Amino acid sequence: MEPRIAKYLAHRMPGASQIAVDELAQIYGGSSQQTYRLSARWTEYGEEIERRLILRRDAPAGLVVAERDLEFNVYKALEGQGIAIPRVYFLELDAQWLDRPFFIMDLCPGKPGNPFSADDPYDGHSEAIAREFWSILGRLAAIDHKAVGLESLRNGTANRLFWSLELDRWEALLSEQEAVIEPSIRGALRWLRRNPPPEPAKPAIVHGDYRSGNFLFTPDGRISAILDWEMCHVGDPIEDIVWATDPFWPITRHLPLEEGLACWEAASGIALDRAALDWWRLFAAVKASVIWNTAEASFISGQTSDMTIALSGIRAGHFHRKLVLKLMREKGAMG
Amino acid sequence: MNFNIPCAVKGVGALLRDRILPEIGDNYAANMARMATSVLNISANWADNAAALRVAENAAIRALLGEAAGLAQGDLSDRLAEAAKSADPGLRVSELDAESHRLRLLLVESQAVLELRDDAAAREMDQRIWRLLEEIEMSRAPVE
Repeated sequence: MEPRIAKYLAHRMPGASQIAVDELAQIYGGSSQQTYRLSARWTEYGEEIERRLILRRDAPAGLVVAERDLEFNVYKALEGQGIAIPRVYFLELDAQWLDRPFFIMDLCPGKPGNPFSADDPYDGHSEAIAREFWSILGRLAAIDHKAVGLESLRNGTANRLFWSLELDRWEALLSEQEAVIEPSIRGALRWLRRNPPPEPAKPAIVHGDYRSGNFLFTPDGRISAILDWEMCHVGDPIEDIVWATDPFWPITRHLPLEEGLACWEAASGIALDRAALDWWRLFAAVKASVIWNTAEASFISGQTSDMTIALSGIRAGHFHRKLVLKLMREKGAMG
Repeated sequence: MNFNIPCAVKGVGALLRDRILPEIGDNYAANMARMATSVLNISANWADNAAALRVAENAAIRALLGEAAGLAQGDLSDRLAEAAKSADPGLRVSELDAESHRLRLLLVESQAVLELRDDAAAREMDQRIWRLLEEIEMSRAPVE
């Protein structure tokens, strides 16, 4: 694959010569897309240049159906907006180069924390990182998506009823690939429709998978990059807030919820309607269940042999269906 | 013949974990192999009672559908009563899953009607369906 990447770089950088690509290695953890790190060197205008890069390529199948250029476009649009993200270079939709669409971006410094680690996944900096985590999310919510050219995102032209649009999306995805129907998820979907949440103060850019494990941090305890924007859309900012506190990967392990929300409110300038949190908690559990269902279907159909996807379908699927049932029990569904 | 699926799958998992995994140098491949051992163990633990579990689930759903038929009206009532009298088409897991899907669809349909009613009988039946769904989920918990 290294020579093919070098050939592609030559195609995109006609002024470059002596292009070499090496140290290519697939990074464990990317499930929606295949993620590779690599080193690239070339000479341009007499100058020798070396870059550590990340290549994100469409997976044959994954956890979610991602729009191919979505993540690249979001990174581009959010450049200079105060959100820690990698710089992106090339988006390629033509499969002739690497069999499937891909894009290339900078390898950011730092490493991800493992949200499932029993120890501090942030090397003693968990509280500071949690505060920054909430502040970045607040800054994201404050951005006018239309002003940065993200009106084309899902729900980008809507002004209200984001909860309903998102329910429609996840229910449709579920119906596409559910081999044995889960009445608990269907029951939760009906409950969510019968009990709509309050409307958000403003539409916001929703990351869609904003959580522990989807950002990098550096040894000095700072967040260096927010990653994995494949599910980005426009909606109610509470969706990301609640997703981040989901008990499968809770950022609230490191900072109490109210302190986190205070950081978010200070950064966003938005007063959060806490009455809406409960609705979005159930929504998050349903959304996660649909994602794991997609994972299971991808594995069963043979579209992927990725063990992350198989285990997600099994373990995480059970976890979130159980959570849906627990939340419904708390709502009195079981008497 | 005493050779069976759980035994074979657990054996392959142990081989992968103890002999092959330590020899894998590539970090990505090693992680995939490690997770494969978990998938194998969970699958092995599911295999032995896969049919028994599904037969029991389908019977429990049929029993509730039969009771729900008495609360439903018209065509739905007829279909619920008919499903309550039905039997599993075979003991293959694929056959039992297909039957489970058919019965669960009726459960979803009846629950969607029951939960909109305000009478005690409908509420009680709806709650019993939710409790059964919880029991089913817990009985299918993955075990490593």
